[in-house]
Amino acid sequence: MKKISSLKISISGVRGIIGESLTPQLAAAFAQAFGTYIGGGPVIVGQDARPSGTMLKQAVISGLLAVGCQPVDVGICPIPSFLFLTKESKSSGGIAVTASHNPKEWNGMKFISRDGLYLTPHQTEEFLDIYHQGEFYFVEPERYKGLKTESNPAEPHLKKLLSYFDVDRIRGKKFKVAVDCSNGAGAVLAPRLLEALGCEPIFIHCLPDGAFAHDPEPLPENIVEICRTVREGKADVGFVQDADADRLAVVSEKGELLGEESTLALAAQYVLGKTPGPVVCNLSTTQAIDDIAGRFGAPVVRTKIGEINVVERILAMEPRPAIGGEGNGGVIVPDIHPCRDSFAAMCVILEYMAASGKRVSALQKSLPQYFMIKEKVSGSAEQAYRLINLLRKKYEGKGRIELLDGLKVRMNDHWIHVRPSNTEPIIRVIAEAKSREKAKAAIRRLKREISALQRKI
Amino acid sequence: MKLLKIGISGVRGIVGESITPRLVMDFAGAFGTYINSKPVLLARDTRISGPMLQAACTSALLSTGCAVLDLGVCPTPILQLLVKPLKAMGGISITAGHNDIKWNALTFISRDGTYLNSFQGAEVLDIYHLGKFKKVATDRLGRVKAAEKAVDAYFEKLGAFINAEAVAEARFKVVIDACNGAGAKFIGRLAGLLGFELIPINHEPNGFFPHDPEPRPRNAQQVVSIIKAVGADVGFLLNSDVSRVSIVTETGESLSEEFTFPLVAHDLLEDDCGPVVTNLSTSRMIEDVARSRNCPLIRTKVGQSYAIQTLLQENGVMAGEGSGGVALAKFQPAFDGFLTMAVILEAMARRGKKISQLVKELPRYHIVKEKIYCPPTKIHSVVNEVKKFFRGHEMDTSDGIRVEDKQGWVLVRTSGTEPMIRVIVEDSAKDRARQRADEVIHFINLIIK
Repeated sequence: MKKISSLKISISGVRGIIGESLTPQLAAAFAQAFGTYIGGGPVIVGQDARPSGTMLKQAVISGLLAVGCQPVDVGICPIPSFLFLTKESKSSGGIAVTASHNPKEWNGMKFISRDGLYLTPHQTEEFLDIYHQGEFYFVEPERYKGLKTESNPAEPHLKKLLSYFDVDRIRGKKFKVAVDCSNGAGAVLAPRLLEALGCEPIFIHCLPDGAFAHDPEPLPENIVEICRTVREGKADVGFVQDADADRLAVVSEKGELLGEESTLALAAQYVLGKTPGPVVCNLSTTQAIDDIAGRFGAPVVRTKIGEINVVERILAMEPRPAIGGEGNGGVIVPDIHPCRDSFAAMCVILEYMAASGKRVSALQKSLPQYFMIKEKVSGSAEQAYRLINLLRKKYEGKGRIELLDGLKVRMNDHWIHVRPSNTEPIIRVIAEAKSREKAKAAIRRLKREISALQRKI
Repeated sequence: MKLLKIGISGVRGIVGESITPRLVMDFAGAFGTYINSKPVLLARDTRISGPMLQAACTSALLSTGCAVLDLGVCPTPILQLLVKPLKAMGGISITAGHNDIKWNALTFISRDGTYLNSFQGAEVLDIYHLGKFKKVATDRLGRVKAAEKAVDAYFEKLGAFINAEAVAEARFKVVIDACNGAGAKFIGRLAGLLGFELIPINHEPNGFFPHDPEPRPRNAQQVVSIIKAVGADVGFLLNSDVSRVSIVTETGESLSEEFTFPLVAHDLLEDDCGPVVTNLSTSRMIEDVARSRNCPLIRTKVGQSYAIQTLLQENGVMAGEGSGGVALAKFQPAFDGFLTMAVILEAMARRGKKISQLVKELPRYHIVKEKIYCPPTKIHSVVNEVKKFFRGHEMDTSDGIRVEDKQGWVLVRTSGTEPMIRVIVEDSAKDRARQRADEVIHFINLIIK
């Protein structure tokens, strides 16, 4: 097999491995292209807690200054707060230095429009054209804008959260809440939010120093410690944020991880009970969303994978949906800001607990029960493409085939989804069924089929 | 034609044309590769483009595994002195010294606190041209450490070197025009250290240069206009990184920058004799001063790097250039404007003389300095052609063409920093200096056309 490139340029931005593909020169060139694309003005620049963040951020600042933009350095900042600030401060755009949930050796850049949203695929295309042409709008020093710093970048976001949710109701319950910030950017805001909500917090991994105590992806194997903390601290609920604090996993008061698909399901169940309406989520989000929406007579709109695809759909709908997101723990409350927001997700769940008077384990039981298994096999996007064509032939006639993004096949008692990752050179393989055994069987079968096909490719 | 000057100890160009983040990162990456993952001091002058270059340098140095000790806005001589005490393996000063605001540059400093010498510079350039920079993995990236407090050590050392009490007793009133450069941030400290009353001009370190940051009479109008009115004892002009100084006397005479080095030498060589180093284009004044003190004089190519290397190799006592840069071996091997001002004030205090009286003790020559624009692609061949003009004379060609006779000398050389041919003529008679300069310039213009 040929060596897989460690640089990914996609609608999710640029990602690469530090010391290999992602160099200061590359980061500066992207920043110059972005500054040229947005035509100057203030640009919010932030980073997640990765140790390589400062190196890349300095490259980005340099590139922005050279094309006449005014970088506003917000330091380590949760991504939802960052997006909110970009819009609220009427900036021309933003560059977030982050590789979200990728492993520690990775880093990257996400590019944000003046609306505080990730660039849409069309905008990304225009911006990448400038990058590839390499003609940047360097300005004379007389037209340089100074560098600014903002030490309290999460403040506007916090205010918005506290004005939107029923703070008094949550405060009245004095919840004990265990939080694992993964030593990521969430640590910047989580303590202040929980204090404002009158919660008694127990924090673990709450130093935003990027020394991720575990892989930043909030997967079950990373979550032993928070579960123990919840049990031993007799907490009402446990929360796990990913490194840039857009996704959230929930732990019940019994110290059991709910599984990341439950976060959006719980949020949707509560929000639709208050405000009925459609739910927007991506193709690989749990079937439970359809069942929940069905109970409220609400439609489910599914999109390609990639947060911006969900967001674009949300923004295109009138009236605006009350809830959307991704099954990976990414909850979107469009009235706050159309982006995945672990803090908004915390608020929704705490408000749900307060309003229902039920414990988290009971709320979990009230959800439609599905079991999802997510795995990945290594392979480039091209290998994934060939693989999907072959798999499609294999599954022809066996279920409802959807080709919106990779291959999704919905069969009688389970569904499968195979697609290339936008952010890493891997192929994601997902199966969901009503029982764990069926899901396991499905994923085993699928992986067997894939490895047989990969030998042929 | 984009202007970019790559020298042995750095790179200089016009921001937005040749100086881009990419270029800066490539040079800083080459330097970081050369330093090999050790700490590097980083400072800049106040130029508006400074933060861009600083961010680019920081990023590139970190990516090669070098820790960045950040001095912020800080003059080059202070950075140079701090390299050793901060246990850094080198430094980068972001400054274009006397050039106008469009320019910026990187100056590379060695582990000894000196400008890179030609061998070190060649090594960095080889890495730059090869384009293969060290790239370390996440866990071995450098970190940024704020080092601004370390500047205290510089002023402590200066305070110990100068007889500060004697200067303070003299209760001097001193006008300093820092041209809103890096010196603006620190002249107050110098005044506190030496106990003089400071009358600052252009002392906001904001990078807006009210005139070219080149210390010379042409830029001295502001100082000249107030110096008598405020009754000051002396006035100083600084370049943007405080490596050069020119002087205005208490009578309001704006001295050529050529006077700075001979003034210092005339005072200090009396008690501390040894080799004196200067470059080929510096006034004969220093020759006379060195001779009168029985010290040997050595001339080098133009540029701080050459002068300082020779100072170290020949175990000299001081090095200096006609542009106003002075280094004392006993303090540090670097052109240092703070030291220069302090030494001159000390001489005034110790000798109980006014600056105009000290100047009178020096021989006077008449120097004409002109520069002629020449496209960089043919600049060296043009200078070579000038040999025809001097046919029959003995020529020193170690840096351009220098011809000397009893009355004076003529030097024609390419600028190290701009696409200019410099013509410098010195003569004991003012008219003859002007006339010789005009003849040479006329000849050069004919060649260029």
